[in-house]
Amino acid sequence: MEERTGGFASIGGALGGFFGAIGRFFAEFGTAVVKGDAFVKLSLLWWGAGYARRKQFAKALIMTLLEAAIVWFTLSFAMSYVPKFSTLGTVQAEQVFNIATMQSEWNDYDNSFMILLFSLFSFVVWAVALVVWMRNVVNVYQLQLQAQQGRHVNNFVEDLKSYLDEKFHITLLSLPVLGIVVFTVIPILLLILVAFTNYDQQHMPPTNLFTWVGFANFSALFGGSITSTFGYAFVRVLGWTLVWSFFATLTTYFGGILMSLLLNSKLTRGTKLWRTMLVMTIAVPQFVSLLLMRNLFSNTGLINTFCSNIGLTGFLRDIGLISSSTIPFLSAPGWAHVMIIIINIWVGIPYQMLIATGVLMNLPTDQLESARIDGANPFQTFRHITMPYMLFVTGPALVTDFVKNFNNFNVIYLLTQDVYVTTDQFMAASQAREVDLLVTWLFNLTQNYYNYKMASVIGIMVFVVCAVFTLIAFNFMIGGNKEEGYQ
Amino acid sequence: MKKILALLLALVLVLSLAACAGDTTTNDTTNDTTNDTTNDTTNDTTNDTTDDTSDDTAAPSGETISLTLWGAEEDQALLGELVEEFKAAYPDQTFDIQIGVESESTARDTILTDVEAAADVFAFANDQLNDLVAAGALLPLDGDIAQVLPAYAGKTLDDVKAANSAGSVEAASKDGVMYAFPMGGGNNYFLYYDSTKITAEQAETWDTLLEAAAAAGSKVGMTLNSGWYNASFFLGAGFSTVLNADGTTTLDWNGTSPDGYTGVQVAQSMLNIASHPGFLAVTDGDLSNQIASGAVCAVVDGTWDAAACQTAFGDGYAATKLPTFTCGEDQVQQACFSGFKLIGVNAYSTNAGWAVLLAEFLTNEASQTARFEARQVAPTNLNAAAADAVTSNLAIAASSAQDVYGFVQDVGGKYWDPAATFGQMVANGELKVDDEAGIQEALDLLVEGAGASVE
Repeated sequence: MEERTGGFASIGGALGGFFGAIGRFFAEFGTAVVKGDAFVKLSLLWWGAGYARRKQFAKALIMTLLEAAIVWFTLSFAMSYVPKFSTLGTVQAEQVFNIATMQSEWNDYDNSFMILLFSLFSFVVWAVALVVWMRNVVNVYQLQLQAQQGRHVNNFVEDLKSYLDEKFHITLLSLPVLGIVVFTVIPILLLILVAFTNYDQQHMPPTNLFTWVGFANFSALFGGSITSTFGYAFVRVLGWTLVWSFFATLTTYFGGILMSLLLNSKLTRGTKLWRTMLVMTIAVPQFVSLLLMRNLFSNTGLINTFCSNIGLTGFLRDIGLISSSTIPFLSAPGWAHVMIIIINIWVGIPYQMLIATGVLMNLPTDQLESARIDGANPFQTFRHITMPYMLFVTGPALVTDFVKNFNNFNVIYLLTQDVYVTTDQFMAASQAREVDLLVTWLFNLTQNYYNYKMASVIGIMVFVVCAVFTLIAFNFMIGGNKEEGYQ
Repeated sequence: MKKILALLLALVLVLSLAACAGDTTTNDTTNDTTNDTTNDTTNDTTNDTTDDTSDDTAAPSGETISLTLWGAEEDQALLGELVEEFKAAYPDQTFDIQIGVESESTARDTILTDVEAAADVFAFANDQLNDLVAAGALLPLDGDIAQVLPAYAGKTLDDVKAANSAGSVEAASKDGVMYAFPMGGGNNYFLYYDSTKITAEQAETWDTLLEAAAAAGSKVGMTLNSGWYNASFFLGAGFSTVLNADGTTTLDWNGTSPDGYTGVQVAQSMLNIASHPGFLAVTDGDLSNQIASGAVCAVVDGTWDAAACQTAFGDGYAATKLPTFTCGEDQVQQACFSGFKLIGVNAYSTNAGWAVLLAEFLTNEASQTARFEARQVAPTNLNAAAADAVTSNLAIAASSAQDVYGFVQDVGGKYWDPAATFGQMVANGELKVDDEAGIQEALDLLVEGAGASVE
């Protein structure tokens, strides 16, 4: 119980620290504006003012140029998109054909998607500019303080050198951070925004415009409308996604540990041979082996022919397990669910086995030794020494495995695509299948039905579920002082 | 030293990020310059760049006209030859025509990803026409653009319409407006059978067909879990599909058809067929495997599997229109969705005039004849279709015989999953022949699911 509160407390602590830092930043800015001299205050308008006063002309020039660049960006680029952000465009595309030039001529039409994307980009640029602007004032105020106290004020070369020295982390991180903002943060924000629009097949830019619809898509997902079955499908797909992630993670994890224990055992012969054979499944690309599996287990595949020939199919039909003429390994709910998890065991165990082998090699031998002397049997050793140690070391990996399985597109898609057709008419009306994970459903909605808005909503849901789970699980696993137990 | 290492690491991180993000827009475009047709060099040009250049160089005649053309992988060599002929037909104009690979069945997906960056002229299957029109990706050919045909090609759009079969023109049109040029037909399904096991007479009705197959210890294969195939029973009984302006599909399958059959009766016929020991329900896309494996002695399939059937059935290879099925007391001819291959022009093409001329050229009589000779695609051009070589082709003859009972595929995106599910329920025997209420409920849900608003 204590541990649990500890877990939540550390989440709270992290959040508190985050907001505290923001608060301090604003406080610093406020102080700088109030207490700064005329040039610090002038820096609010002309970014280079404070530096120019302290004779840091190079810096003043850079800041002035940066300011000019942002103004230029705002006027020449942002202003052609951001004013339309509230409507996402109103001018429909129209064209006339000119026989003299043999070309089509277009009006100056709006493209909702471009408006959305470039407005968002502008907001990000402005947000960064705001931080730079505030930070700048704080910096020049500190320069003023240094000058007033008679301390040394860096010249430009010294400043540059500091980026290879005490400020080296900034030099290192600026490029990766830029990359993350452009390639990760902006797309995620875009996805979130799309969830509040009616961007779908009936509203595809550039020919058609889309616009804001508020929370309509979310209410559709949670059963807001009567004709829509999205709510019905979402609950079932989410349910299977959770069941799948749980079993897929657990079975491969324990399977991997057992397998590596077996291989590490002194009684096993030909260890290297077995290990190589198991690792072979990694060497073959997943999509090859999974598609092969799919064909083997399909209704008219090899396994089904074999079962039918040895009379297993007939036997199963006699005892009432199946009603069809073939065993629906991958084509009926229940059967397919179990088969997918079993096939995944085969695909997933080798990875876990490799990890477990590595960890087990570092298992403190003194503990095993003393356990043996104390007369513990192999199961007791496993239960009280091996497992706790494994869990401690691989706990975080277990959490990421769960999240990975939550979004395990490959296994589900490759095993069920073109083989599984749902017989649940409510699911079919939402383009979902019982074996779909949220992520494969999302793929289907965007790829085949251009339903970007619902796909975005589902994407947000996936993110929320994964984020909450990861936060809680990590805090429980790593929180507390478990580490000391193994020191 | 450590710092340099760390710096390098950071750089690698950023570069890999950039590399990942860059991949998404690249699409291999085969470079097909005048003297280079035999050389299969692929040029890694992004679509964006090709399109941008065509925007910039777009200019009055006398300058180079840049066009991009997308066609199926198997058609590349043929397209290369036809494009050369097109260039030769307009010697006063210089062209830079790039030919890219894009399957006719997936053209819609690639084009709708970014219409403005897609090819100027592209081949696609007519089932994608509705989506492409809804997205405004296809240039309507009836507008001002129609002037280019008399001005440069010496024919009018009406001539083109008259030269091609009525069904193909209808499939290339929506609401009376023509959006693409018919390139080929035969994209429907009919019956292949092994005449050593089944006589031509037995192949006329499902009842005798299934009996003969069962007696021969073999099966008749058909895909039920696909709306493309299983609609054939309902369409045959007089039911219809209607694609509405808002993208929804209206089905009347849960009621009574103008011919006097109820949807329940049709579903019962399907169930009787599906439960027959001589019937094999084949998963969508698995037909060619079943043919090759020798599990079937007759199969409902299209011209694309002609070679496979010929190999499997050997001397017994035969093809004919689909059989009739027992519905209520009567024999009803099974219908089909007629499929056509079309060539359309991107509505956002800058050089729209020349793009239309190229599309028309690639689908004229000579080109269709060349396409039949190279790829055995059934011509839609009436003259080309009348040639002896075409009419003596078994599969194409059967396809045309079935086309008499063909319907243009007028359904929206929401139709497919509910229809596939209904077919799967029939195939699995989840519906019972004598449970009329259960069948009615399933049909009601099918109609409701297919008719759901596009959200």
